[in-house]
Amino acid sequence: MNVWLAAALAVSAALVPCADMSLRGNPERRLVGLEMTSIIVTVILILLTVGFGRLPFIDLPLALAIMSFGGGLVFARFLGKHL
Amino acid sequence: MTLHTIITDTLLGVVVLSCWIGAAGMWRMKQPIQALHYNSVPGSLGIITLSIAVFLEAGNSQASWKTLLIALVVLGINSVVGHATGRAFRARELGHWEPLDGDPIEFVRDTEGK
Repeated sequence: MNVWLAAALAVSAALVPCADMSLRGNPERRLVGLEMTSIIVTVILILLTVGFGRLPFIDLPLALAIMSFGGGLVFARFLGKHL
Repeated sequence: MTLHTIITDTLLGVVVLSCWIGAAGMWRMKQPIQALHYNSVPGSLGIITLSIAVFLEAGNSQASWKTLLIALVVLGINSVVGHATGRAFRARELGHWEPLDGDPIEFVRDTEGK
């Protein structure tokens, strides 16, 4: 295991509080947890890409980041207006 | 252990710490608007540090530039989506997001547009 994979494993521990925020409580807290989860998963995917030496797979975190941007805006709009 | 290894390891350590601090701080805060502010720790410090580490590791490659693009998108998530989320919290609470007279902030009321 190289240092990139070790870092990915360590960052994965930060998903536990994100899961707690996303799965429990009121919709506001859940949305904050979802946004933090998307950032942390993007970081983990970059670390795994470099750690495994499969650099073309960098497109996966790029796609996730772009979709999180749109998804976050939609959820925020929906929360303010309809939920 | 070369200087390159030391720098990369240090940068990755900063990435890990920023993610932990951001997640733990978000978890500890009682109000969602307070928790929302902790998204900026991994979303700015973490992702920029990670971009530098990838540039050091992969050099001037397509993956490095795509990582920089990811960093820009995540910074956008941090600022634009964070702001939209904060506005949504206020709109959900008050029915609108405009400042009220008793709010502890300075603002100029737009009277001409109304």
